[in-house]
Amino acid sequence: MMLSSVIRNLFSKPATRPFAPAARTAPQGYRGAVEFEEEVCIYCGACATRCPANAICVDRVAKSLEFDPFKCVQCGACAEACKKGCVQLQIDYQHPVAVRHTVAFHGPPKPTVAP
Amino acid sequence: MAQRTVIPFGPQHPVLPEPIQLKLTLKDEIVEEALPHIGYVHRGVEKAAERMDYTQNVFLVERICGICSFIHALCYCQGLERLMGLEVPRRAAYLRVIWSELHRLQSHHLWLGLYADAFGFESLFMEFWRSREMLMDIFEKTAGSRVIISACCIGGVRRDISDQHLQETLETLKTLEAAFDKSSEVMLNDYTVKKRTVGKGVLQADKAIMLGAAGPVLRASGVEQDARQTGFAAYDELRVEPVVETAGDCYARAKVRIREVRQSLDLVRRAIAGLPDTDIAVRPKGRPNGRTISRVEQPRGELLYFLAANGSQKLERLRVRTPTFANVAPLVHMLPGSELADVPVIVLSIDPCISCTER
Ligand code: SF4
Ligand code: SF4
Repeated sequence: MMLSSVIRNLFSKPATRPFAPAARTAPQGYRGAVEFEEEVCIYCGACATRCPANAICVDRVAKSLEFDPFKCVQCGACAEACKKGCVQLQIDYQHPVAVRHTVAFHGPPKPTVAP
Repeated sequence: MAQRTVIPFGPQHPVLPEPIQLKLTLKDEIVEEALPHIGYVHRGVEKAAERMDYTQNVFLVERICGICSFIHALCYCQGLERLMGLEVPRRAAYLRVIWSELHRLQSHHLWLGLYADAFGFESLFMEFWRSREMLMDIFEKTAGSRVIISACCIGGVRRDISDQHLQETLETLKTLEAAFDKSSEVMLNDYTVKKRTVGKGVLQADKAIMLGAAGPVLRASGVEQDARQTGFAAYDELRVEPVVETAGDCYARAKVRIREVRQSLDLVRRAIAGLPDTDIAVRPKGRPNGRTISRVEQPRGELLYFLAANGSQKLERLRVRTPTFANVAPLVHMLPGSELADVPVIVLSIDPCISCTER
């Protein structure tokens, strides 16, 4: 058997892909990087409560959300919890970056009450 | 004159996928005593589980073991479902079997490869791992991730597998089986391989029972025991006969796993054929209260979870007993009397998963 395998491997293409030039596309339904749609968010905090990695921090009073992609384990619990459909997991793989960062956004400032 | 030497085997050793140390006392080339030392990859998962919400824990327990992540989640969810009185829909139970068996397949392929590597058969290692890649692709397609598939949830499963994916899975399994026929043939019949495995690290049935061996290690010693016989998930309908060998040596342990691969292939096919058309999850109501024990069969043996809940968001206690933990004592018993050169093969023959053991 090993001889046939040697012959097969000599004449076949490599089993691995040449990564980078031939990057692979992830299949439908893949749980990739988390993306927020700022405009839709109501800062309810449902995603933050469900997140097992504490990657999301929502301040309901100040209406702000902070997300740490480096803590995220791409489980998809936030996307399931969000009623507004504001969190989505991209089908793309998470890309490496050179500098560690967080994603933060906040709602419109409260209308100031005229004296 | 015979001299005694103590050799530290591990924690970093080419044959070990994970860190464990065995202090081997040798007399010339023969092992006289083996002392295991663990504690290199302790992560405090049990304690973390007490701090997190019980629904978040599903994702935590999956990370105890990367090779059978789904089965850990299944064991945990099953225990909570019992505490909360949830009846899992039949389709979910069948899907759980499909993913569990696919995990068993991938784990056994991984092990067969590592095992071949342990006695220096690099090309066989590559053959098994090439096949394993097909299984990883199935996970990616059906569950959305290759390793930690996060498909299980309390009350059922998180996503369904479409008919098209089921068909593709069956097709892939056909290719996989053809490749497996060839590679397993070498593992079982090759003269050199047999020289390295037959009669090495023998564990008798009575000793296996006394030392509390689990899974393929136990079954290779002739003891008929498999937690799938308890009929969890859909195993009550898809009956499973334990795969038993009697020799109790490294060869028998490999043979048990090779036969289990065929059994799992058959189980996946039967589960897909009999997949009922119901919901895939029920919504959990209320909070868990009480204590329970949940048992499932992992690729390495029986996995046991003890859960204590008190009606709050957080669990009071989560205790995990993994099969490798049970198999360390039999391993220590197998080693004395063997040659130093056989130690890597014997250690690998229990399929050690140290991250599981230490949690
Ligand atoms: S659950 Fe959705 S709407 Fe609520 S805070 Fe999170 S992202 Fe915003
Ligand atoms: S995908 Fe999971 S880990 Fe990542 S932010 Fe969402 S809930 Fe948290």
